Amino acid sequence: MENQEKQAELTGFWYSEWAFVIFVAMLSAGIFAGTHMYYVYHIGAFNDIAIVAMLEGGIKTGAYGAAAAFGASFLFARILEGPLVGILDIGGSLQTGIGIGVPAMLLGMGVTAPLTSFPLALAIGGLFGVLIGTIIVLIRKYTISGNSSTFGADVMMGAGNASGRYLGPLIIISAAMASIPVGLGAVIGAALFYVWQKPIAGGAILGAMLLGAFFPILTK
Amino acid sequence: MDTMTIIIESIIIGTLVGFGVGAGAARMFHAPNVQGMGAFRTFGELNACEGDPISHFSFGLGFLFNSWASVVGAGAFTQDVEHRIIPNWAAAALLSRNPKVEETLHDPKKMAFAGAVIGMVVVTVMNSTAVAIPASLQVIATKVLVPAANWLINPVMPIVFWMAAIDAGQRSGTWATVLGGLSQLVMGNAVPGIVLGILIGKGVDDSGWNHITKTLVVAVVLLFVLSGFFRGFDAKLLNEFHIGVPAGLIEFHKIFGSVVK
Repeated sequence: MENQEKQAELTGFWYSEWAFVIFVAMLSAGIFAGTHMYYVYHIGAFNDIAIVAMLEGGIKTGAYGAAAAFGASFLFARILEGPLVGILDIGGSLQTGIGIGVPAMLLGMGVTAPLTSFPLALAIGGLFGVLIGTIIVLIRKYTISGNSSTFGADVMMGAGNASGRYLGPLIIISAAMASIPVGLGAVIGAALFYVWQKPIAGGAILGAMLLGAFFPILTK
Repeated sequence: MDTMTIIIESIIIGTLVGFGVGAGAARMFHAPNVQGMGAFRTFGELNACEGDPISHFSFGLGFLFNSWASVVGAGAFTQDVEHRIIPNWAAAALLSRNPKVEETLHDPKKMAFAGAVIGMVVVTVMNSTAVAIPASLQVIATKVLVPAANWLINPVMPIVFWMAAIDAGQRSGTWATVLGGLSQLVMGNAVPGIVLGILIGKGVDDSGWNHITKTLVVAVVLLFVLSGFFRGFDAKLLNEFHIGVPAGLIEFHKIFGSVVK
């Protein structure tokens, strides 16, 4: 009964291949529009400062080669990797590829309209998203899907679940190395969470933040 | 005038991004049968909170202040908004009402809508703030959470995946060991290679060497060759074996805009 229910669930729209294309398109539209906001208002780019700085360098000097090559190569590798491993890395493919690489290429060619106009940014981002999503679905069609094998999904899920457990102790170790108050906070928070039968990662973070707010880590 | 435009655009962007991230994150729990979207680290971190709403919330909160300070100071959100804050807070919102992860965190529909709401609020608030964010809380993320998360990605997750692959049988263990090691060299992290190794090993265990498993191997080889090329691995390899890099190869890299030594 429960198994049947699960089967039905996994075949609905929300689990379908084409729904994936829509999700990628929406996310890409949002990320590209985020870069538009950065271009116009200097806020809201969905990436790390160091990577956004590459685009900023292009905007200032007009040399977009570095940002374009960096973004495009990430995009390329992740599109190929995504369908094979079953998880598309949005950091490399969309945030860096669509958010930095594509804008850099367009600006390098002198095309500024998609970055100055909000509706156009959404449209271009969405279009690239549809393109990427379709490529991924097609690659899957010729490799993973249409096969009776589950390709060791249970093994990967088991590993995924197991690896998560390590985060709590890692945070305590990291906090202890940062400063004594923060370390003590993490230890106490984690111990309390453990006693309350909650994951210790949450308690460690809250404890570290609480004591870190009163006794800031000395940075030099 | 600008402020209004920023708020309206932020609402649209946040909703779109949150919807995609939420749905993609939930689908990760059904990979590789269903194509997911997110990152291995997001997957590992979501698992770390074990479906406890307070843990999911505090994990997202830990990264919030750093992202916030970054966007106020430099205009860049950091990747954490999509990798950590939205998925974990969406999970926290859903789990606070229903503690069963199968019906919440693993459900793309519910995660998409929860993500959309969280994304809308987080992006809009962050983009329209002009006040300084307390530095002491920002430092917690960069000094405590980032190192811990980095250790999780490398080497903890590779080792856990590796052990699972080795325990899953000789074929997946062998493929995972070879591809995992190569993936660490070429891509800088072993997890994608190990996952590909499990995929190939288990695929062949279940259905033998048919055209699908063969296509898979060809695609994997292609992935390694192209990733290696775009990351300049070819030139690095020649350099470190003390063989000079031919001028032709350097020129070839230049066509794609990358500079190798």
